[in-house]
Amino acid sequence: MTTRLISLLISLLLGIAGCGGNSGGGNNEPPPPTPITKAEAFQFLNQATFGATDAEAQRVINMRYEAWIDEQLQQPASLQLPHLQSVPPPQFMFQLQPDRVDIWFRNALNGQDQLRQRVAFALSEIMVVSQLGVLGDQPYALASYYDVLARNAFGNYRDLIEEVTLHPAMGAYLSMLGNEKPDPVRNIRPDENYARELMQLFSIGLVELNQDGSIRLDADNQPIPTYDQAIIEAFAHVYTGWTYAGAPVFQGAFPTQQRQIFPMELWPQFHDTGEKTLLNGVTLPAGQTGEQDLAGALDNIFSHPNVAPFIAIRLIQRLVTSNPSPSYVSRVAGVFNNNGSGVRGDLGAVVKAILLDEEARPDLRMDLDGKVKEPILRLTQLWRTYNAASASGRYPYNFAYILFGQGPLQSPSVFNFFSPFYAPPGEIRDSGLVAPELEIATEFLNTYITNYMFCQTFFWNQESSPDCGPITDDTVLIDTTAEVAVANDADALIDMVGEKLVAGRISATLRTEIAGMLARIPEDQPNLRAAETIYLLVTSPEYAYQR
Amino acid sequence: MTGASVAAATMASTPGLTYAQTIGGGAPFDDYRALVCVFLFGGNDSFNMLVPNTTAEYNAYAASRQNLAIAKTDLLPINPVSFTPGSEPFGLHPAMTSLQQLFESGAASFVANAGPLIEPTTKDQFFNQSVALPPQLFSHNDQQDQWLSLRGKTPSKTGWAGRMADLIRTNVAYQQMATNASLFGTNTFQSAEETVAYVMGATGPLEFGFMSSDPDAGLLYEQGQAFGRIIDASYQSIYERGFAAVQRRAIDSAENVIAAIRAAENSGAITTVFPASQLGTQLETVAKLIAARDQLQMRRQIFFVATGGFDSHDDQNQNQPGLLANISESIAAFHAATVELDVADAVTTFTQSDFGRTLTSNGDGTDHAWGGNQIVVGGSVVGQDIYGTFPVLEIGGDDDVGGGRMIPTTSADQFAATLAKWFGIPDADLDIVAPHIDNFMQRDLGFMA
Repeated sequence: MTTRLISLLISLLLGIAGCGGNSGGGNNEPPPPTPITKAEAFQFLNQATFGATDAEAQRVINMRYEAWIDEQLQQPASLQLPHLQSVPPPQFMFQLQPDRVDIWFRNALNGQDQLRQRVAFALSEIMVVSQLGVLGDQPYALASYYDVLARNAFGNYRDLIEEVTLHPAMGAYLSMLGNEKPDPVRNIRPDENYARELMQLFSIGLVELNQDGSIRLDADNQPIPTYDQAIIEAFAHVYTGWTYAGAPVFQGAFPTQQRQIFPMELWPQFHDTGEKTLLNGVTLPAGQTGEQDLAGALDNIFSHPNVAPFIAIRLIQRLVTSNPSPSYVSRVAGVFNNNGSGVRGDLGAVVKAILLDEEARPDLRMDLDGKVKEPILRLTQLWRTYNAASASGRYPYNFAYILFGQGPLQSPSVFNFFSPFYAPPGEIRDSGLVAPELEIATEFLNTYITNYMFCQTFFWNQESSPDCGPITDDTVLIDTTAEVAVANDADALIDMVGEKLVAGRISATLRTEIAGMLARIPEDQPNLRAAETIYLLVTSPEYAYQR
Repeated sequence: MTGASVAAATMASTPGLTYAQTIGGGAPFDDYRALVCVFLFGGNDSFNMLVPNTTAEYNAYAASRQNLAIAKTDLLPINPVSFTPGSEPFGLHPAMTSLQQLFESGAASFVANAGPLIEPTTKDQFFNQSVALPPQLFSHNDQQDQWLSLRGKTPSKTGWAGRMADLIRTNVAYQQMATNASLFGTNTFQSAEETVAYVMGATGPLEFGFMSSDPDAGLLYEQGQAFGRIIDASYQSIYERGFAAVQRRAIDSAENVIAAIRAAENSGAITTVFPASQLGTQLETVAKLIAARDQLQMRRQIFFVATGGFDSHDDQNQNQPGLLANISESIAAFHAATVELDVADAVTTFTQSDFGRTLTSNGDGTDHAWGGNQIVVGGSVVGQDIYGTFPVLEIGGDDDVGGGRMIPTTSADQFAATLAKWFGIPDADLDIVAPHIDNFMQRDLGFMA
């Protein structure tokens, strides 16, 4: 903390903190801002995009952070559904999932709306639906759902949860679709699945929070639950009566291409019209329509004081750091509660607050800032840096969730690939800290990724290997032409790769080890020398670390 | 706060102190024993797995279950030895023929209506809140966590297998592989203060394909050495260090364990055919690792395997037969393999799941509930019986807290303590494994010989 305070003081002295402005008075010109270094630009871009590149870093240096963010906030969403609809429908719907993953990679790697895509990915890890399960046969639903996240990434959270709630992908995944009012004769009561997970995972969580994200305790020092079973049942009654748009029957309609993408529709005869007591004692009166009940219920959740710290923590964890300080959470939650113009739930303002916060821009420094990179981001950063592409133009990575432990809308359950509370044994847990991404950084998966990186850097640029498979039109290759050109000079080669991937911040150990290996690879093998350099860097702990 | 939960809270806040003691002076175990946890993610609807078959009890079940009830004539009858011979008081789901055979042969038993509890709980106590209850009942991840950690209301992050591994760590210092091995990712069950679980894939660990520890392997050897030195460098960030620690464990274990698995395969000792399912594949690998126990110098092992898809909010009647058949076939194959390896007496397999499910239906499925039935299998299981109290499956009955959510009549702590005792944990240390065991009269449910 002391180091953080010192860096804050320094930045205040230098006038770059952006909070408070110049209070010096008089007619003095404001001092020119301290230039952004390339390392700082990389840090920022690894938080805000699918991987920092030299070119984008130069833009950030020229524009500075806020203007870069403002430009990104205006970028329209790169969508998935139009692409999927342009592909001839295959015999079976599940056969279209590779195309859905393909367009996700295209947008993540090359979309101009990098910040929007990154935030959409973060949201897809909070409001989870997944290809693994009932939606395996519904690629249009998944693409359309992802587009909802991308379009609303900078919109209002209240609008987002309404679109999420009524989306048939969520309806099918958490079984609100076809949920009917009670039928005491058949011992049937409303399905509680969506009622529970919307509150637990997408909005308020299990226990009451202060604005800074800390847990409120009762007189016995126990956390205070945000809801009980009766409240879940009340919400379950709210979410009755909805099914696929244009369905001929309330339950069991086939999910056609159209039904997968249009918001669910209400069948009033299946909606429970009783009175419902929701969070904080708010009551929906009897006799309301399904639409009225839904609006009341989502307003009820949206107005809960937990939403701001809950969403702040989850977005900060996905973008910036696993362990934000309470004051950082509080500042971001404050912006959620009021964007400065009296609007609650402005996600664009929240994202901006997260990225411009002093804690997102710490000095070159302290051991608990930052996070472990999500494995798929290790891949996308490498690919963006080296213009990775296949001859066919496709990214055939439908099995990303096996190769990397995660992929777009490929979580094993609604609980995401990893828990926001995961603390690996050892110093992280002992310090009361968390490292969510390490939950999937198992011995097995890390080995898998290490081996993948070997194939990516060595074989797939030169020749097929029995261990890595043949090079086909679909094999994604990285372009290392520039590295090969300087490969006879070990220092120049290491400098070049280090500049591109870690803004030159390569540790002495890593440099020494790479140089040692290069000394063993003849100069007439420039491809191998380039591959070795990239391989050892992208499998290193320092590359796996998002500063 | 009860005495036991105070003890557990103290334990959680003073890592290291608890484990200063050693069992039997740290002497090596003179036999081999393995526990295999089969976790059924999503909440297995186990009141459709083990069903009352006597008239009144079946009728109560059928009235509660309505369109989700298994027809009485479809049940696979079983004859637990504690009941009148030939009375067939219970039946299994029709998809579980292999489990029926295992049960009737004496290799399997059930523990009825088990679930997380802090102390014995009646319906009145539940509603007037006069007992301590596990937090966040009916929530997936919280109740998984309760089963796997038994932490009750304490903030402990360790699991009961992790605590067992910590307790015996000096007794098994010679083992070539961690006591805890997972074939289904990181899990709370095996999380510990002092020891670290080893996570492999469903078919075992993966080799670092392009490195070698053989000094004659030239560049691949050098690459492995360089890679290792990079991993072992000192790093400023806790995240870098956390990542590097995983890489180090991966390098250290992969070669040994893979070699042992290959040797087990080549020996041809296992001829049992396993189901091709994820669960079957994991259990086949566990069988190979058990076959390789001497090569790896293992005397105590705890395996974590798992399968998902049990959260049957929807389409339960369509999906449940396949789910239960998979459990039945996979566990039966695994038991057969342990018989082949002549270690059936030394291996105990048991299920856990998030929770049981509501007896009432939501139309085509069921929701999150509490108590459920668990399977225990192995040569040391006192087989062909049902332990604990099977509740009357009646809506609004004595055990129902609403919608057919059964209050557990046996605690997960009792279930764990019974297994832990067999595994070799002394009675005096059972409260470390099962922190609330002192709150229950019966410390040992009696299903382990």
